[in-house]
Amino acid sequence: MAMTIDVEQVAGDPPVTVVALDGELDASNYESVIDVVRTAYADGSRGLVFDLSGLAFMASSGLFALHSAVRIMRGEVPPDPEGGWGALHEMTQDRDSASSNVCLAETQEAIARVLDRTGMTRLFAMHANRAEAVAALQGG
Amino acid sequence: MRLRVESDVNRLVEVREFVREAVSTFGGSDRVAEDLVQAVDEATCNVMLHGYGHQPGAIEIEAALRDRRIEIRLLDRTPSFDPTATPAKDISKPPVSKRPGGMGVGIHLLRTMTDEVRHHVRPDGGNELTLVRSIDGPAEED
Repeated sequence: MAMTIDVEQVAGDPPVTVVALDGELDASNYESVIDVVRTAYADGSRGLVFDLSGLAFMASSGLFALHSAVRIMRGEVPPDPEGGWGALHEMTQDRDSASSNVCLAETQEAIARVLDRTGMTRLFAMHANRAEAVAALQGG
Repeated sequence: MRLRVESDVNRLVEVREFVREAVSTFGGSDRVAEDLVQAVDEATCNVMLHGYGHQPGAIEIEAALRDRRIEIRLLDRTPSFDPTATPAKDISKPPVSKRPGGMGVGIHLLRTMTDEVRHHVRPDGGNELTLVRSIDGPAEED
């Protein structure tokens, strides 16, 4: 199963981009996700929602992409994928990431299990749907 | 059941489909399939990216059911690498860089989603990695 990426801009304060991932996120396509987030930030978005309602599988490369998104939306330099797979380990010990400007919406059970088993659940606020996630980022 | 793929991350989708089909053929649940798909994807990706790197090479994947346990065997011709020898992860802490260049998160996933991981260096060169998962229950308590 391939993966499609659907992007929606939501005006407001801050501007938010919703990135819907549908299919399977693996080592063959995780860089596309990072590129989309880079573009969103460059275009002015300061909040990001990953709509995971259609994501059936996520490899560790997907975890890397999600973490890169946190860094990009903070205006930081993300780990360089060309710098080697070891960049995956550069996930920092930011204790406050749960209140970061990257949220997950409608995370499926299988994906939630991967996040949980790698200790990454704490890095993201989880919401029931994309509208709730956008509202949370834009202050309610 | 057997699958042979070239070292190319675009082939991982076929590997996952092969594992799903094997688990279904053996009568395993969706949850068992999900765990094995994750584990085999991580192990295969590791061979492709770290074993073969940018060099061409093949990975053979065999699936069998023995004593109510599904065994998935990965055979490659890369330099010896034993993922079972890496230290276990402490997931009470966020993932951090402990071994630059390593593949610890993927290995952590393949360990937690299987009951047993065995590694052998093949006598004629390469690695044999076997992932074992009981067909009857979860690899770990939720």
